[in-house]
Amino acid sequence: MEHYINNLLFTYFPHIAMAVFWFGLITRLVKTNKTVQAQSTQFLADRKIRIGSNLFHVGIIMVFFGHFTGLFTPETVYHMVISTETKRIIAITLGSVFGTMTFVGMIILITRRLKDDRIRINSTFQDYFLLFLLLIEVGLGLASISTTATASVEHYASLGVWAQKVITFQPDAGAVIAGHNLIYKLHIVVGLFIFIIFPYTKLMHMLTIPIAYFFRSGYQLVRKGLHWK
Amino acid sequence: MQIRAQIGMVLNLDKCIGCHTCSVTCKNVWTSRKGMEYAWFNNVETKPGLGYPVDWENQEHWKGGWEIRKNDLHPKMGNKKGIVKNIFNNPYMPRIDDYYEPFTFNYSILHKSSKFKTPPSARPYSMITGKKMEKIEYGPNWEDNLGGTYESRSREKNFDEIQKEIYGEFENSFMMYLPRLCEHCINPTCLAACPSGAIYKREEDGIVLIDQDRCRGWRQCVSACPYKKIYFNWQTKKSEKCTLCYPKIEAGEPTLCSESCVGRLRYIGVMLYDAEKIKAAASKENEQELYQAHLDVFLDPHDPDVIREAREQGIPDNFLDAAKNSPVYKMAMDWRVAFPLHPEYRTLPMVWYVPPLSPIQSAADSGKIGHNGIIPDVDSMRIPVKYLANMFTAGDEEPVKNALKKMLAMRAYMRTKTVENEVNEEALKDIDLTAGQVEEMYRYMAIADYKDRFVIPTSHKEYAEDAFGDKSACGFTDDEGCGTGKFKNLFGGL
Repeated sequence: MEHYINNLLFTYFPHIAMAVFWFGLITRLVKTNKTVQAQSTQFLADRKIRIGSNLFHVGIIMVFFGHFTGLFTPETVYHMVISTETKRIIAITLGSVFGTMTFVGMIILITRRLKDDRIRINSTFQDYFLLFLLLIEVGLGLASISTTATASVEHYASLGVWAQKVITFQPDAGAVIAGHNLIYKLHIVVGLFIFIIFPYTKLMHMLTIPIAYFFRSGYQLVRKGLHWK
Repeated sequence: MQIRAQIGMVLNLDKCIGCHTCSVTCKNVWTSRKGMEYAWFNNVETKPGLGYPVDWENQEHWKGGWEIRKNDLHPKMGNKKGIVKNIFNNPYMPRIDDYYEPFTFNYSILHKSSKFKTPPSARPYSMITGKKMEKIEYGPNWEDNLGGTYESRSREKNFDEIQKEIYGEFENSFMMYLPRLCEHCINPTCLAACPSGAIYKREEDGIVLIDQDRCRGWRQCVSACPYKKIYFNWQTKKSEKCTLCYPKIEAGEPTLCSESCVGRLRYIGVMLYDAEKIKAAASKENEQELYQAHLDVFLDPHDPDVIREAREQGIPDNFLDAAKNSPVYKMAMDWRVAFPLHPEYRTLPMVWYVPPLSPIQSAADSGKIGHNGIIPDVDSMRIPVKYLANMFTAGDEEPVKNALKKMLAMRAYMRTKTVENEVNEEALKDIDLTAGQVEEMYRYMAIADYKDRFVIPTSHKEYAEDAFGDKSACGFTDDEGCGTGKFKNLFGGL
């Protein structure tokens, strides 16, 4: 039974999550593109947002890229530059710094949302749900650092092996991390859950990051026609 | 030469009585929605005053408009990198309290309650939280007719380089009204600062609009606009702005604020300008040269070369005809009585103002009124010329003085003409206008017939878009399309 659940959560569930993620992402972008936007509350209450929002956003963006490169770079590739042991030290250092930044930023943002009348009254269930879900996920990530630091190097490296087995559709992916600490497993399951709900929430605003702005020639835009499509 | 047509507006402040009819008609049509209660696409301020939002003219604080850095023109907020860096938190963005917390009154308590021990009063309720407010702190017309203390009002920017203490004395106080709306600038900073590319300027008539489908709520435009005429809808969390009532303009009708103006002081007309000159004009090192540079961007609609070139570039004939009869061109270029609001922001604004005349100061210095022949000296007017110059020409008094002189001369000339039935050449000797021009000026500025005030060409949809695809389509559609709203196909098929 334990084997079954492990297999379900860490071999099949990632694929289910990714399928829902990509389906939702594409349909949302195609069908209700204009709803994809930042949901800033800065206008209603500036208090504390400057430090909170910047800490959270910078932190979580770095954490995201950290996970992406850390999990999906194959051993043979990174061994050309660094050893697994060095990689673990880098991961722990950067993870602690940016993870803490994210966590502190979230605490500031949550207290701000709860304390300020104007924001609290105009907040939706989704606003609270996402804040607490992300807080739990970041908390789990931070809590797993001590295990990562104390367990064996192979134990750490197998996390990357698991991720790479998942994206290459290998049936024994789940078995790789079967013996891992519960904190890792919770972190992964909550993370995959965030991927599932991602396209249906305001988290989508991260796809509108204004990169095209830098490629716009000059500053001004003039549109020919009354109706731009 | 790249010719573009632009719908411009002139407001003759000499006739504004501060009745707010423009603001109210605009409000009723465009911003009477949740999230926009606090927003006034058109508002009327009493000057001197901090205005709405508070102290909007202080660009050291709000960082609106452009500035020259390293010999190049950049938004004052920062270059592209600097702007994108601020998308998590925009440090220069005004908060709702800088406008005012929108409120309503709980009138129902007056007829629902049975009996009061004390005379009943309606208390203000916040339209954001729905809770009772202790006190209304600020409003869009907070300093109406010099409300509030002089000390707070005089903090405004137009008092720079003015010995302002004496204007706080009752005998020397002065005021004027300033109706404000989006300037539909030729060089808009809001547009430049929009990281999503949602704001655009229409090529055919120069109206600046925000594409609500593309706005991602990054809020940079709010602080980039030096006139603070972009409003953040706190409900939809996207920005909105004055549309210059483009559906009416397209149909050849004036905007709501202009149409409803009881003082008949608003003028709408077409201006032709050379788009290639924009950058050079906005980049003039000396701020006082910006007014002249702005004038130089405009093209003479009577010049046969301009007309030929404009036709070649596809500008429709009715726009060229409208440009010839444009009241904006007459006031800004022919008579030089209209001025841009704060040219030093380098946005090349397209809503211009005729500065107001004011009573000659007499109480304090009786018998010493400066007279220049039969025309009173503009320097002894109640509103200091320097103050007007700080508002309209970046502090250069000469053009403002000339405009005021022309208006005084027009009055003197027309007075002798109508009362004494004589031609008063004496009145015109100091100004560079002919009797014919002055009479035309009188017709436009004093009589102000509807057909003279509004010369608006209908737009040519056929040049702008291929409307064939819209044949038999339903008008306004949202995600539900024309259907009943019950059924929604995720893939857009039948």
